[in-house]
Amino acid sequence: MSEPSIFFEDVNEKQGTFHRRIFLMGGVTALGIFALVGQLGLLQIVQGGKYKKLSAANQFNFRILPPPRGQILDRNGNVIAGNRPSFRVLLIRNEIEDLDQTLDQISYVLPQTEANRRRIVRDVSQSQRFVPTVVASDLSWEDFSRVNLYASEIPGVQAVMDEIRVYHYGGAFAHVVGYVSKVSEKDVKAEGENPDSLLLHPSFRIGKQGVEKAFEKQLRGVSGAQKIEVNARGNIVAEDPNGTKPPTPGEDITLTLDAEIQARALEVFEQDSGAAVMLDIHTGEILCMTSAPAFDPNLFVSGISSKAYRLLADYERLPLLDKAIGSTFAPGSTFKMNTVLALLAAGVSDTERVNCPGSYRFGNRTFYCHKKSGHGPVDMRHAIKYSCDVYFYHMCNRAGVDRIHDTAHKLGLGELFDLEISGQKKGLVPSTAYKREAFKKDPKWHPGETLSVAIGQGYTHVSALQLAVYTARIANGNRAITPHLIKKVGAVDTDFDFKPIDIPPEHLQVVRDGMYMVSNDADGTAYRNSQLNLGDIKLCGKTGTAQVHSYDNAKTRKASIWKFKDHGLFVCYAPADNPKYALAVVLEHGVGGAAFAAPKAREIMKVALLKDPAMQARIVRPVPVEDAAAASAEALPDITDVPNPDPTIPPAD
Amino acid sequence: MAESAMTRRGERERYDVKLLQVDWGFALVLSLIAGIGALVLYSVGGMSWEPWAYNHLLRFGLCFVLMIALSLVDLRWWLQLCYPIYAVSLLLLVAVELFGDVRMGAQRWLSIGSFSMQPSEFMKLAIVMALARWYHEAGVKDATLSWKLIIPLSMIMVPVLLVAHQPDLGTAMLILLTGVTVMIVAGLDWRIIGAAAAAGAVAIPFFVIFVMHDYQRDRVLTFLNPEADPSGAGYHILQSKIAMGSGGLLGKGLGLGSQSQLNFLPEKHTDFILAAVCEELGFVGGFTVFALYGLAVYMALRIATLSHSHFGRLAAAGTTATFALYVLINGAMVMGLAPVVGVPQPLLSYGGSVMMTVMIGFGLVMGVKVHRYQELPRSQSFFAQFE
Repeated sequence: MSEPSIFFEDVNEKQGTFHRRIFLMGGVTALGIFALVGQLGLLQIVQGGKYKKLSAANQFNFRILPPPRGQILDRNGNVIAGNRPSFRVLLIRNEIEDLDQTLDQISYVLPQTEANRRRIVRDVSQSQRFVPTVVASDLSWEDFSRVNLYASEIPGVQAVMDEIRVYHYGGAFAHVVGYVSKVSEKDVKAEGENPDSLLLHPSFRIGKQGVEKAFEKQLRGVSGAQKIEVNARGNIVAEDPNGTKPPTPGEDITLTLDAEIQARALEVFEQDSGAAVMLDIHTGEILCMTSAPAFDPNLFVSGISSKAYRLLADYERLPLLDKAIGSTFAPGSTFKMNTVLALLAAGVSDTERVNCPGSYRFGNRTFYCHKKSGHGPVDMRHAIKYSCDVYFYHMCNRAGVDRIHDTAHKLGLGELFDLEISGQKKGLVPSTAYKREAFKKDPKWHPGETLSVAIGQGYTHVSALQLAVYTARIANGNRAITPHLIKKVGAVDTDFDFKPIDIPPEHLQVVRDGMYMVSNDADGTAYRNSQLNLGDIKLCGKTGTAQVHSYDNAKTRKASIWKFKDHGLFVCYAPADNPKYALAVVLEHGVGGAAFAAPKAREIMKVALLKDPAMQARIVRPVPVEDAAAASAEALPDITDVPNPDPTIPPAD
Repeated sequence: MAESAMTRRGERERYDVKLLQVDWGFALVLSLIAGIGALVLYSVGGMSWEPWAYNHLLRFGLCFVLMIALSLVDLRWWLQLCYPIYAVSLLLLVAVELFGDVRMGAQRWLSIGSFSMQPSEFMKLAIVMALARWYHEAGVKDATLSWKLIIPLSMIMVPVLLVAHQPDLGTAMLILLTGVTVMIVAGLDWRIIGAAAAAGAVAIPFFVIFVMHDYQRDRVLTFLNPEADPSGAGYHILQSKIAMGSGGLLGKGLGLGSQSQLNFLPEKHTDFILAAVCEELGFVGGFTVFALYGLAVYMALRIATLSHSHFGRLAAAGTTATFALYVLINGAMVMGLAPVVGVPQPLLSYGGSVMMTVMIGFGLVMGVKVHRYQELPRSQSFFAQFE
């Protein structure tokens, strides 16, 4: 080693610089650490409160607890519209990264997912970001528990149990009670500024028709909330029992309808098209309001397929239309009681007779009676009994169309009632004022037109509900009852007070006499089909056949095409001696009132009468001892088993 | 070879004597940091040793033994190995560029059989050693202001550019800053420092706009305005701040941090573990961690000043710089003061390669302490002295 290996000055200078710089580096690092500690203090101590709130907001979520929808009950407490549990699998869109992958995963546990895949993909793409999509509903318990087990491992998938609307009577109440269905954008808009967040819940259904729609507010209830702890994926980690606000269930609605009568009414219509409305003539309570054919409202709850909907909508018998209130018909001969009352009001004597030769010539036109051979001399009561058209042709202009119109309105025809559900059609009973308004070219009322109106044809058309009210007012005799559908909302009873009717009771008695004869005189138009076979409980009725289409040959009232056939109508009340129930049956294109509408009316009326304890007491007379046990065993005796207490009255054939 | 007159010849070469010279206080500080890391990993693992806490402690134990073993290695060996290690690391970086695996969109990994590694990780140490070696031999003038500075600058820039191209901007930045720190403490002229800082300030916006990948630019822009997209790129920063802030003074308690336990906090066991510490242990816990880091840096820098050799000083200072940069960059990132750049918190975060790099580096630092009186030749061959 000839050279020194260390140059001391150099080393010292290097070391000096290094020490200064190391001191600097330490200082910079310390400064950095101080800055970080300062920021830490700022975050944790100064702003700690703010971040604690944010953390709690992260951690806890409020989940809507949908309220159970109020039930709809019939007058006896039978559940017409209730709720049943439904197991569903939901997909929460904003938690899913790869929809295909998620659906693959679900289909391992739930094979039916494959078949629905396209529908799910479509629904997911259409739904809003935070609104879950239903993958499958109405799962079996086994399927549900299997999905529930794995749902926590598939992000964005939830297995839930909630309630779904169920209509226990199928189509019987389809029109009057209506149905609930998925919420549409229109429904949300209709809620106004601040729509209930419940509307976005996938299990929520909104009333679309009938009582379900009219009482949506009361039935819906108030949703509760559940405080849940969630992780970053939104999966529930824990529930906070103290943070849970239970939902307030919707109010139950009790209808005046009787489920048994209603269901029977739909049955007797079978495949026929028409409507039946039954009222309690004292209270105005609607006991039955049926439109046939009906549809199953349960189809709409989970969403009807467009194919099934088209089938319903395109069917010529119009199952979707409520024919009880939303459809009007020419009343035909059922209108004649009204004409009689108008005549009485005009001072026509009830005993004055008119000879019926089978036709009536007015001006240069011949009007035919339905009985071509004629009825001979008929007074007012017999004019009803035989439904003699000539009597009315002859008399009607003594009353005049305006008096007919006024009387009709007193009886409820052409009137809109304060019914709780919407969809009523007003119909029309013409008058001179109407003619002036509607026919600018020919504003004058011609007496010849009164002839058609008097027998319930021409411009006249009324609804089945109006016919029922009309019959009820006739049967009641002194109050202008109005129809009502709702008995109770929640626990509150609805009560009504009716105005007295502006028709003298003795006039109404004439009409009732006529109706009694229609059904109870052997030559009355509805005698054969009006026999109740319930002892001294008698039916009073009036048939009607309304022409729908003008025939080329007025003598053969037959049409081969269903749409052009006549409507058959029948209005009635019972019991004759102490009326309680009024019923109107309209059978669309049912050819004749007496032959086809009356039997249906009789069947429906019988159900009501047999249910009534007061009637039962009248029917079940003291019987011989050995039969007493058998009779008391059956609270409701079968119709065919009722003994005929009065052997003088021949049984109906 | 002047030795201290106080000891007998050959006395310092004995391993039992060397072991006594190991800075056990420093080792304790490092163990405490790793211990806090294990505690929080136990908590965020759902109060369970699996999957992280046990592995963390096991790795730390192995690395600790390695560190002590390395601290006994003669500095002359280190000195001789500097350039070879640097060369090998550089070759590996080139190999990554040519044959590396693409993982998560970046080409960082090199697989040899079933063993895979990130050469950029080795480069953090290699650059420190290579620079220390170069400055050890350079004169005062060379280190302050000279054309020769091109050499250390190239030594830094070649690996930085290679790593940045992978792209791994975080590591590239770390290598760059480490290298620059070594150059500064080696005595770089202030005029050059000033000029470089000014040039950097001008160049950064251009770099962000024209050179960065989209996701990198997003991170930077998100950092500048994290609330703009709270569920997207700003999510990490926001959730991290919520976690820390909601911890308050004393924290929510171990296992009770809702942010970290319920997965709102992303990467809670790696890059964002500091947020979990602060949430569960509060300001007190966070302060303790920073105090321990500060103490570790202080102790390491003190060792650097004790060394009698320039190589020892610079190697210790450079390694400490890497460590301090990790701590500061991660801390700033987690608290929302810097963009998210994927830099873990050394010894606290779960992850093997960073712990190994740091502990090997501290092995060198401890070696500098053990061999602080050793004087190293400037340019002679290491092997020559034994002749």
